[in-house]
Amino acid sequence: MCENCGCTETNQKDDVQKNSIYLPEVAKLTQKKKMTPFDSFFEFQLKDRPLGHLPGQFAEISVPGIGEAPISISSAPSEANTFEMVIRNVGSVTNAIHSMEPGECVGVRGPFGTSFPMNNLKGKNLLFVTGGIGLVPARSAILYAMEHRKDYKDFFILFGCKDPGQRLFTDEIENWKKRDDVIFHETVDRKENFPWDGNVGVITTLLPKVGKVDPKETYAIIVGPPVMYKFVIMGLRDLEFPDDHIIVSLERRMKCGVGKCGHCQMDNKYVCQDGPVFYYDDIKHLKEAI
Amino acid sequence: MEILKISKNDFYSFLDRKIAAKESKTIGVVKKGSHYVFAQLDAASDLCLDYDVTILPPKKYFQPPKEVLLKYVPKKPGSYVAVNECEPITIVGIHYYDLAAIYLMDKAFSEGERDENYLKKRENSLLIGMYPTKPQKNRFARSVTKDQGRHVADIMLTEIAGHLVVEILTPKGQEYLKDAKTVKNDYSMKEIEDARNNVKDDQKLPLAVEVVPQYLGNHYEHPVWEHFGEKCFSCGSCVLVCPTCYCFDAREEIELSLAEGKRVRVWDGCMLEDFAVVADGHNFRKNKSSRFRHRIFRKGKHLPEKYGYFGCVGCGRCANSCTADIAGPVKVFNYMEENK
Repeated sequence: MCENCGCTETNQKDDVQKNSIYLPEVAKLTQKKKMTPFDSFFEFQLKDRPLGHLPGQFAEISVPGIGEAPISISSAPSEANTFEMVIRNVGSVTNAIHSMEPGECVGVRGPFGTSFPMNNLKGKNLLFVTGGIGLVPARSAILYAMEHRKDYKDFFILFGCKDPGQRLFTDEIENWKKRDDVIFHETVDRKENFPWDGNVGVITTLLPKVGKVDPKETYAIIVGPPVMYKFVIMGLRDLEFPDDHIIVSLERRMKCGVGKCGHCQMDNKYVCQDGPVFYYDDIKHLKEAI
Repeated sequence: MEILKISKNDFYSFLDRKIAAKESKTIGVVKKGSHYVFAQLDAASDLCLDYDVTILPPKKYFQPPKEVLLKYVPKKPGSYVAVNECEPITIVGIHYYDLAAIYLMDKAFSEGERDENYLKKRENSLLIGMYPTKPQKNRFARSVTKDQGRHVADIMLTEIAGHLVVEILTPKGQEYLKDAKTVKNDYSMKEIEDARNNVKDDQKLPLAVEVVPQYLGNHYEHPVWEHFGEKCFSCGSCVLVCPTCYCFDAREEIELSLAEGKRVRVWDGCMLEDFAVVADGHNFRKNKSSRFRHRIFRKGKHLPEKYGYFGCVGCGRCANSCTADIAGPVKVFNYMEENK
């Protein structure tokens, strides 16, 4: 595949290789773009297959010698062998990925986990409520819905982040704003010293901007930091959203991705397999969920 | 199933021949100071079938404390090679509750995605089980364990008056014993049953095991979690010695020469402080009480609901190893019953 990654033809042959659920395959970094001081966009390419993911799934990315980390997939499903991620530089693995240049390779296992139920949402209004890097997994469903725009009715995207310097996908957001078939609102918690004449306030302050929607004809998809969920769900309940029309994607430490290592357990669920995407109605009784 | 009999002396001579033949590594219970451990036998005379409990359960042979999953050349993702190190082993003298734990571990590693690193080691093992012959102050196995361990044992031994009643449970067990000087069994089933139940447990769970999942569901909010949790040192001893704890972490180990690296799987546990920490530092089980509750819920509710068997086999090792003397499930459930 490339001269530097150390690929050998013999790697994939014996039973141990075939049967291991922990063996990564190689993906080449094909594009890299800085988005914020700590988030960068990455496009990876698998050698001979598309990743085959569904919107909302994640993959385990490996850097040999550094480790492995679960990362949300940010692109819509594609026939191409490429897939996209936005990775925050917060730990040793993500730091190593940030230091890579196009042409270098990583290991990939996955895709893992449940996906946004895009088929079940057909014919309904979509309301995405995203906070910070929650936009990253949500984007896989947003792009999917845009590609299949006729399948859905009104399409709202709400995005909030801490300050204007932490906005993600700013070029794409400009395009989303221009579309007449998507209603996009965003806010920042604080302006800080950035030039910003947009909304200031937490994400829930955007809910009234959605206006009158029939909650029974609408599905809300929430992805954001742990602190965000309770407040957004309260806001949606005020708007009379039924609990089975609220879909959440939850974060946990998904170390193995295959439901064994125990790190992502949330009550009796393994978030890496039973999630990360859940209907709120299915997890609201779980004590550890939100 | 066939039931035979062998004198203890003949069994030990047979084991010596097996050790010498080196068809498989023979592991048994040996004395270590005032405790017992599972270790490789150099001679059958080292084997101690009359023991209370081992420090660690036999899980260490199927999910070693440290195990290589991958080898690679650092910085070269194309060099990842999966590793599955295993060799044929025979383990002699596993108590029935530890067999029950292996039964549960087999389910955990085979259902859904098959974890061949565990399963291959299990396939390459022959298990010779038995029933406890010595009391152990924290054991309550009979309250929580049926005899499901017999599903994984190849052979079960029951000692009666200097003889071992040998129950052959699998063809593999039959093959293993083909050269042993076994004779026809002349003990009645009642005599065998009595011998199996000769040693009573010192402890008893105050509830029927079947009601525990629902009972815990009704006691998510209870002072017990704070009462015991606040005394916890978060040392993780209870989960490391547990025969049904299989949570793990993965780490990278690189040779100083930087020529080769390994991804190793190591034991981890939900009682350790950073077990549920995610990348940005958020800890989903920040409080000791929430970790204490999770461990009891996993054993008493989550695993039974998932696999149909109680997640604790009542070996008492957690209670034995706990510095703060809070880890034993009997103590926890007694407190809940006393403080309704």
